[in-house]
Amino acid sequence: MSMFEDIPVDVGIIYEGERIRGRDMQFELGGPREEYKFELVQAKDLDEIEDGKIEIIGKDISELEAGKNTPFGMIIYVAGEEMEKDLEGVVERRLHEYVNFIEGFMHLNQRYDVQMRLSKKSFEKGFNSFKLFAEVLMRLYRSEMSFIEKIQITFITEPKLVEEWFGKAMEIYEERDARARGMSDDEVDVFYGCSLCQSFAPTHLCVITPQRYANCGAISWFDGRASAKVDPKGPVFEIPTGDLIDSVTGEYAGVNQVIKEKSLGEIERVQLYTAFGYPHTSCGCFEGCLFYIPEMDGYGVVHRNFKGETVNGLNFVTISDLTAGGRQVDGFHGLSIEYMRSPKFMQADGGWDRVVWIPVDIKERIKSFMPPEIVDKIATDEDVTDLDGLRAFLQEQDHPIVSRWTAAPKEEPGEIAVPTLELPASAFPIQGVPAGMGFRIILKNAKIRAEKMIIKADKG
Amino acid sequence: MSKKDLKLKIDEFSSAVGSFKGVEIEIGRIYDDSWEEPMGPTPFPSVGTLRNWDRKLLDRYKPFYMPFCDLCCLCTFGKCDLTGDKRGACGITMAAQQSRIVLLACCIGASTHCAHARHMLDHLMEEFGREAPIEVALNTNVEAPNIRLVCGIKPNTLRDLEDALDYVETQLVQLVAAAHTGQEGDNIDFESKAFHAGMLDHVAMEVADIEQITTLGMPKGIPDAPMTELGFGCIDPNKAVIMCIGHNVLPSVDIIDYLMENDLFGEVEIGGLCCTAHDNSRYNTRAKVIGPISWQLRYLRSGIPDLIVVDEQCIRTDILIEAKKLGVPVIATSEKSMLGLPNRTHDPPDNIVADLVEGKAPGALIIEPKKVGEVAVKTVLGVAPTRKDYKPLSGDDIQEMAEHCRNCEECVRACPNNLPIMEAVQQAAEGNFELLGDIYPACVGCGRCESACPENMPLITFFNKGAEERIANEKFPMRVGRGAVQDVEIREVGRGIVFGEIPGVVALVGCANYPKGGIDVAKIAEEFLNRRFIVVATGCAAMDLAMIRDEEGQNLYERYPGNFDAGGLINIGSCVSNAHITGAAIKIANIFAKRPLRANYEEIADYVYNRVGAVGVAWGAMSQKAASIASGCWRLGIPVVVGPHGAKYRRNLLGRKEKDEDWMTYDARTGEEVYTGPVPEHLFYAAETAEEAIVMIAKLVMRPNDTTKGRAVKLSHYIDLHKKYYGTMPDDLQYFVRREADIPFTMKNEILEYLKEKGWVEDKIAIPDPTLLDRMVRRRE
Repeated sequence: MSMFEDIPVDVGIIYEGERIRGRDMQFELGGPREEYKFELVQAKDLDEIEDGKIEIIGKDISELEAGKNTPFGMIIYVAGEEMEKDLEGVVERRLHEYVNFIEGFMHLNQRYDVQMRLSKKSFEKGFNSFKLFAEVLMRLYRSEMSFIEKIQITFITEPKLVEEWFGKAMEIYEERDARARGMSDDEVDVFYGCSLCQSFAPTHLCVITPQRYANCGAISWFDGRASAKVDPKGPVFEIPTGDLIDSVTGEYAGVNQVIKEKSLGEIERVQLYTAFGYPHTSCGCFEGCLFYIPEMDGYGVVHRNFKGETVNGLNFVTISDLTAGGRQVDGFHGLSIEYMRSPKFMQADGGWDRVVWIPVDIKERIKSFMPPEIVDKIATDEDVTDLDGLRAFLQEQDHPIVSRWTAAPKEEPGEIAVPTLELPASAFPIQGVPAGMGFRIILKNAKIRAEKMIIKADKG
Repeated sequence: MSKKDLKLKIDEFSSAVGSFKGVEIEIGRIYDDSWEEPMGPTPFPSVGTLRNWDRKLLDRYKPFYMPFCDLCCLCTFGKCDLTGDKRGACGITMAAQQSRIVLLACCIGASTHCAHARHMLDHLMEEFGREAPIEVALNTNVEAPNIRLVCGIKPNTLRDLEDALDYVETQLVQLVAAAHTGQEGDNIDFESKAFHAGMLDHVAMEVADIEQITTLGMPKGIPDAPMTELGFGCIDPNKAVIMCIGHNVLPSVDIIDYLMENDLFGEVEIGGLCCTAHDNSRYNTRAKVIGPISWQLRYLRSGIPDLIVVDEQCIRTDILIEAKKLGVPVIATSEKSMLGLPNRTHDPPDNIVADLVEGKAPGALIIEPKKVGEVAVKTVLGVAPTRKDYKPLSGDDIQEMAEHCRNCEECVRACPNNLPIMEAVQQAAEGNFELLGDIYPACVGCGRCESACPENMPLITFFNKGAEERIANEKFPMRVGRGAVQDVEIREVGRGIVFGEIPGVVALVGCANYPKGGIDVAKIAEEFLNRRFIVVATGCAAMDLAMIRDEEGQNLYERYPGNFDAGGLINIGSCVSNAHITGAAIKIANIFAKRPLRANYEEIADYVYNRVGAVGVAWGAMSQKAASIASGCWRLGIPVVVGPHGAKYRRNLLGRKEKDEDWMTYDARTGEEVYTGPVPEHLFYAAETAEEAIVMIAKLVMRPNDTTKGRAVKLSHYIDLHKKYYGTMPDDLQYFVRREADIPFTMKNEILEYLKEKGWVEDKIAIPDPTLLDRMVRRRE
């Protein structure tokens, strides 16, 4: 029997993309016209909650005025032997998908920005109580997240109480974020490995730490923790960190061991916070790519949505081609934008002091997480378009990289290897070709007609 | 044109190397081999090079023959009856004969694209120079995935494309030769050769589209390509109307140029049918798209066109007769289709115009596109005023003609879709045209009913009359063909595909020989767009899916964006643009996994087959080109679903899900052969109804490498669609659920219960690093 036989509307992944327009809605919960709205998950002890309990404070669905919006709060209490405070955020973020699974129910944004709409159609079909809503959520949580043993849900539509709880919720979010941000790789003894991308790039493995998101930008350490609990045989698994080999480069014995095993020996060592030596491998779907600019001895970062050319004349596609596919490539490093908010970001290489160019889009997104003194010193696509311009910009802004240039920056030859091909002994040297350029001419079916060819012995 | 890359004359030259006097050096071809990627194992593969790979696929997907004809009548020994276990005079079996015809069809298809590409290339090199650099798509490094993969060359200029075409032509001759009496005798070898023809076809198509994108300023892979108008209703009948039919854009380009240069778009309307229409609109959005190829007879009968210009492929061979009925001239522009017309290529344009306008000649053959431009425009401006009084049949005329119906039902018998034509005619005799109007959307426009009618009734015209109102409103926006998928888009969908957020890629391609009208294509597209698949489309299918509106009056192109991403609807372009679809699959392998591309067909096909959840759908597949396009997909490991008429291609390639031993795959991590379940279940499948096709497509996107999340998402769509269209749970879930985590969690109880009944055990089906190639095993345990 279907899990939702007794629910008057259907529940399934196919409703995920459903949009409910204003005139089709029965009502809106929260949304931009309401100041107070929230959704919150709270982990409790097993004996603190009553499994299956549903509480409605204020009006139920059937009592809400049609076509209007209302202040709204939803608190989901969960408990289980394996449940942890740290997983609240992960559990909470599932709401977006779950609510959208319900036929005629739309969910946008999250936390204190939440906006939900129920369609008239679904209301008319009989989806007329928060009790039904709670039933669906509870079944989905239990079905997907086996570590939730007990669940209890409270809905609040009573405006005063929503307002009161809103304040509390904001504090809880803040606390949760502060804890997540304050959490350091040094204080945990387990990281998470994600081999999801091995389905397409079989030698790649992401190492997910509290201070280094998965390259795709979609899996935090907390997400990894939850996934590993939900599906212990799944693609996300625990990596005991083992001995810390080097705290600056971020090398751990446990990580090395797992990488070696999972890459079938192709990768032996990984240092998490550097782009040289033993950098983290890059899959096929990283959000951005860090690239070394030899002329500056610094880094640029470019993200997927950046159209056009970076400061060194290469576009995202070309840069990412140089590193994708689960390889370790010096100076090219796939990463998530979230990792750029981390204090460990490229720590071994000098962190933000080594970054000389980023697209303005990225800068706007992460500005508040960058060391304040560096923000204006890093050039963007709006400031400069080529390396000469970049050099001038960095000098003008007194970017810390300038102090690394002991003398004037050397023009180093590019990193891109030109295939050097030896000329066969019988080939004749060609004049006027710049030194260092090698090539080979192959003549096929060529007729060279020479009336006379004179070869003289060299007297010198 | 000189075919020499270098011609050097040195009268006198002296240097440290030596002295030269009166030296002449001629070099036919200088190869710029600056591509860093080392050459792969199979550059320019010959007929047998990839035979082992083909046999691996054909071993899983055994051809299931559906003889369209039991006889062989290809040589004078025949006719030979091949039914049962009889053999022909040459010794051939039924299986071999069927696959031989498949091979011939694929050769014709591939030759057609190749000849098309060659014709354009010769012309475009002349006009733009042999060294014109290739530009295909923005944010793209892999400009020609099929050419790189098959040939092992990286084309930089137009002339480099010649190397690819030289190769395709040489191979096609070999393949056609294999079909001679007393050559190949093994059906599987015939099948393998048909795969070869298909692969060649994708190279030829890629060449053709690259040429025109490069030189004619067509969109370079842009997601927000401009909109154009499509349908009967978009043509202004008060203007002089030129109707272009076919696939080769060159003559039309010159017509458009002439109209632009002489500022005549206010007086002349240019409308196209089939791929010429697509490519015209890619060239200039002022060119209108009348509709798919099946509409040509229909549109002619409307009486609107004042001039017909045909180029090549899929044009009606009786076009001259139809034109005569209308009193409009025909200009033929290709040596492949000269229609018996006199060659006027070298005559002064004004003489030709005068003859055509005055009706002294029914038409002209003009091979030079520039001249076509001038003659067509001048002719249409001369002809249009003389046709002002043209009146199509009135309702009364039709009623009167319908009264002569003899009840013989020959029309219904001749109709490929068995439409109730006779009933409609009899209603019309009573003055009721409603049923005629109902036939209109389901009719493929072949006109066989007319040929069969002993009263010679112009039945297509009747249907038009019944649908008069509908036709007037037939006006839809269509995003013009955007060409290739950008490399950066491939990278952007990476995460979605890995996480299962994008369940698959559905390619709606091909012709308009539908069982129940083009609306089915729109339904299929809509079903998968709603489910956030990536939907790409080309050719007639890309037009037909424009013709459905929601209650807001918006069609699919207006509702779904044009980027290669979940829920994106991408008009790739014309038939030759199909190469970009296989190209996208190839690029996924190259970009995500960095698999070497160069002349590395087997490995890439193995990757695509085992990992990329793409399905081709040719709902109205009709032509030999559609056969070869599909064949190129099969060799690359992409399953194809066709409509019921597709069974006339003579065989399906069906997997047998219940045979565990058929579905053994290497785990590249261990070298072990493991059972991966029947994914994808079939390689070529003819569905009876659009509903059946929809459910099958949802099933065929599954691949052995699916992540558990990805499999769960794919299964939820498969189950949901099965319930929606069959009203039941599928009865084969035990073959597709590998672990409990694969079960969509919104259906967990229900499915677990079902699996229990079937005796399902977890982990019987492995999730390996899958490969069919022994040499891809990375480590043996």
